Amino acid sequence: MNPGIGYTALILVSAATIFIGFYGLRVSRTTSDFYVASRTVKPWWNASAIGGEYLSAASFLGIAGLIVISGLDALWFPIGYTAGYLMLLFFVAAPLRRSGAYTIPDFAEARLESATARYVTSVLVVLVGWFYIVPQLHGAALTIRTTTGLPSWVGAGAVVVVVCFTVVTGGMRSITFVQAFQYWLKLTALAVPAIFILLMLSGTTGSGPAIPAGTELFPPPDPLTGDSTYRTLSLMVALLFGTLGLPHVLVRFYTNPDGAAARRTTLIVLGLLTVFYLFPTIYGVLGRVFLPELAANGYPDATVLLLPGALIGGLGGEILSALVVAGAFAAFLSTTSGLVVSLAGVISQDVLGGSVRGFRIAAVIAAVVPFGVAMMTDSLALAGSVGLVFAFTASTICPLLLLGIWWRGLTDAGAVAGMLTGGILCGAAILFGAQLGADSPWRDLLTQPAAWTVPAAFLVTITVSKATPYRRSSSVSRFMTKLHVPERPLDVENPRTQSG
Amino acid sequence: MSFGPSDPPAEGRVRVAAPRVQARQVPQRTSVSQEVAEQSAVGEVMVRSLIRSQLRLALVVTAGFMAALLISWALVHWVPTFADWRILGVPAPWLLLGIGVYPALGACAWLYVRAATKNENQYRDLVDEK
Repeated sequence: MNPGIGYTALILVSAATIFIGFYGLRVSRTTSDFYVASRTVKPWWNASAIGGEYLSAASFLGIAGLIVISGLDALWFPIGYTAGYLMLLFFVAAPLRRSGAYTIPDFAEARLESATARYVTSVLVVLVGWFYIVPQLHGAALTIRTTTGLPSWVGAGAVVVVVCFTVVTGGMRSITFVQAFQYWLKLTALAVPAIFILLMLSGTTGSGPAIPAGTELFPPPDPLTGDSTYRTLSLMVALLFGTLGLPHVLVRFYTNPDGAAARRTTLIVLGLLTVFYLFPTIYGVLGRVFLPELAANGYPDATVLLLPGALIGGLGGEILSALVVAGAFAAFLSTTSGLVVSLAGVISQDVLGGSVRGFRIAAVIAAVVPFGVAMMTDSLALAGSVGLVFAFTASTICPLLLLGIWWRGLTDAGAVAGMLTGGILCGAAILFGAQLGADSPWRDLLTQPAAWTVPAAFLVTITVSKATPYRRSSSVSRFMTKLHVPERPLDVENPRTQSG
Repeated sequence: MSFGPSDPPAEGRVRVAAPRVQARQVPQRTSVSQEVAEQSAVGEVMVRSLIRSQLRLALVVTAGFMAALLISWALVHWVPTFADWRILGVPAPWLLLGIGVYPALGACAWLYVRAATKNENQYRDLVDEK
């Protein structure tokens, strides 16, 4: 590919991001603007921003790559990512918004009245965030390498620099605008080339490569085995329950004005995700036919980046390629900046006192550490490594949130025990699973651990909580009321001040 | 024993009374929202029933959605003839998993939001009834 395409796309997206971030800077003046955009973001903006930060490298590049490798089974990934939002809507969105806490550790402390639970949660949230940023940086490295030929660290470094700049200068308010813009950029970047390619292949515009006669575009489902059933099941558990605990997703809900708005926002997000996920499938299916050598060389994730250029020649192909590369960069930037904002919120509140200056320092820490990790590790398949982060979140933060919101019996001891159990089991499974050979009988169980680590974490949380009923928070009734009772419209007077 | 105005006071005693019409009125009943705020038994029952109905709703819709996923999965893997159906050249399993699941998902979400808002409105009506 012509390296100029990569440079142009990278510079345009970075410039647009910094410009919108700078525009946000003019409207963000208070500490509240910085952390929660003063809780005044409209559902449409907010939903676009959530879609923007949720659709990461795994969605933009990874799903198509996975379809190239494993065919029909890969379609469970986007279903799981979207259905995770459904679970979020059902069990978490409105109560969490009403809790009044800003981060998950804030929630843990308010619900359980325990500093220990807060610290354990903070550590886990920061771990989850860092390990979620790493695949984004791997994606950026891959994109820069395939499109310009520059070394890997340039792509990852560019993402870290742009993210730090926007977060440090504008905080949450400008990030909301940036991410809303990036959702629509990502959708355009996938949809427009896909539509052009489909038109070309159907023969309506000009000439180009045609689908070779007799090729089966759609491979039939693999024969059913115990292994594939377990893998699909475990993946769905990870994605359905993992979304609940993602720090960058939750922080977004605090920018809604109230619980009902949080629900409306989630409904719009589901629509936006649905529209987006139609397109990676098209790239995956066509990539199997036209770019099979990518999978053979171990770079299936580059399918989305190279397909428009490979199928549509000339200037049109170059423009469409630039668009796709720009969309990919928007994906890395938006997810990374969402994670950095939420991690900076946690780190600055727990370590640096919660000031705007602390937030800025924490943002840099939150972005630089995963950069180091990304440079020291090799990229796996993007969709797969993001799937593991979901498994980890589902085994640690999900039990805390679900039981904390819906069960009065949760105690701090139970929550901490459950989070540690889930974290250790899942972390160990992922680490050992990566060492195992392809023919080991334990491989599926360890590389896709959510199906047993999530129930284990719930079981330990419930058992320990039941064994320590004397540790229940004294304010649990008041807190439950706050979580579930709908907010009063502001014009209703307090009944106590009314005389009869 | 009652002290109506018709009964004369007992020997050696004087009736001290203020006209009731000038008395400051004390609220006759505590409102339910006040019960909730004071975490009295009544308020607690109301909140618990709200939480229970919201949880039941969430679990029912989840179960429905999971059942739909399970049916899709079974159709794709266990019904070989399902793969032979094609619309515009695309086999049915790809259509189902690539497109068909999402409207079902959206419908579940919409139904849930409607029902959850209704639960909250019912609660609010009950509480605001004085």
